[in-house]
Amino acid sequence: MAGESRRLPELNQDKYDTDEQVKIICLGDSAVGKSKLMERFLVDGYRPQQLSTYALTLYKHSTTLNDKTVLVDFWDTAGQERFQSMHPSYYHKAHACIMVFDVQRKVTYKNLSSWYQELREYRPTIPCVVVANKIDADQKITQKSFNFAKKQGLPFYFVSAADGTNVVKLFRDTIRLAVSYKENSSDFMDEVMRELENFALEAKGDGPEQNPETTTETTDPDTTV
Amino acid sequence: MTYTPKKCGVKFKPPAIILIYEDEKTKKIRQRSMPVRNFSKFSDCSRAAEELKNNPRHKPFLGGVSLQQLQKLYQLLRNSLSGLSLDRSLEIIHKENTIDSEEDLNKLDDKELDQKKKIMDELFEKNRKKSDDPDFVYDVEVDFAQVEPIESCGWDDEETNEDF
Repeated sequence: MAGESRRLPELNQDKYDTDEQVKIICLGDSAVGKSKLMERFLVDGYRPQQLSTYALTLYKHSTTLNDKTVLVDFWDTAGQERFQSMHPSYYHKAHACIMVFDVQRKVTYKNLSSWYQELREYRPTIPCVVVANKIDADQKITQKSFNFAKKQGLPFYFVSAADGTNVVKLFRDTIRLAVSYKENSSDFMDEVMRELENFALEAKGDGPEQNPETTTETTDPDTTV
Repeated sequence: MTYTPKKCGVKFKPPAIILIYEDEKTKKIRQRSMPVRNFSKFSDCSRAAEELKNNPRHKPFLGGVSLQQLQKLYQLLRNSLSGLSLDRSLEIIHKENTIDSEEDLNKLDDKELDQKKKIMDELFEKNRKKSDDPDFVYDVEVDFAQVEPIESCGWDDEETNEDF
């Protein structure tokens, strides 16, 4: 934890554990339109925060869902995808993922499988949606089948960042998925991490002034287990 | 004084950018030759194009000629100075200015990627609905109900043979 925040001082990710905060990440090849989709959704929203050191752009958004305020941080890459791999902190604590390809470029569709594989290494169970962008270039494409999403059992959207088709729907649906994932997290790794953190906190809380060696001997056996 | 460009090209020997334009006042078609100086096979084409476009003597004539086109003409000249045939040169320039569906853009350097993004941006801007357009709608939802039989995108074919 401490190591994480030291490496990324601007990016204290502990806030994503609080109830109202969710983190949604964007994945996909260079130039598939990830940033343009973000900008289309947030039209007159906050200006994004550029963290060039981390090749990262953060977009903040707030909305209300079931009478509750939700603060969303959208994480977008700023060239990091060129290495066809993202830094693990990009995936850390993410609650949903938007995976984008360009309907005009086959290679961006083929690369979805490696992006998806990497995502699942870090976040085995977070909701992920697949987005076919740039349908304005050729509307006929929407009558064709793209089997990747179906095969992986993921929601699929035909969108255009240029004319806005389905962009707002895509983001609203994803925010809903992120929130519901957070509320009913069944992610095994999440559970394990939470347990470990609680355990560390309890241990600390038991005897802040004592050194660890004596703690085991002096504390009540009920509280140490 | 208004000049409407009709055609713009390049001459290799001696090197010059040639513009055929119409003088709006006299309605006459004229040709202007702009000699290219201090240009070698190592020169920067986008810089040369900008310099020509901003040259006080030529500026009034080049208002309607895009920077991209001038840049392309300088590229042709540069390739010719490097000994490339015109056909090969045109092929290279065509490749640089179009998007290949199979080319992995993750592998390009910043400059090359920006060039490709610029090409893609042209279509984006053409189809773009801006938030200040009078007919702008924020939430555009379209249900693309697919009608059977659904044709494959053709990009899944290789996978169908594999056990995934």
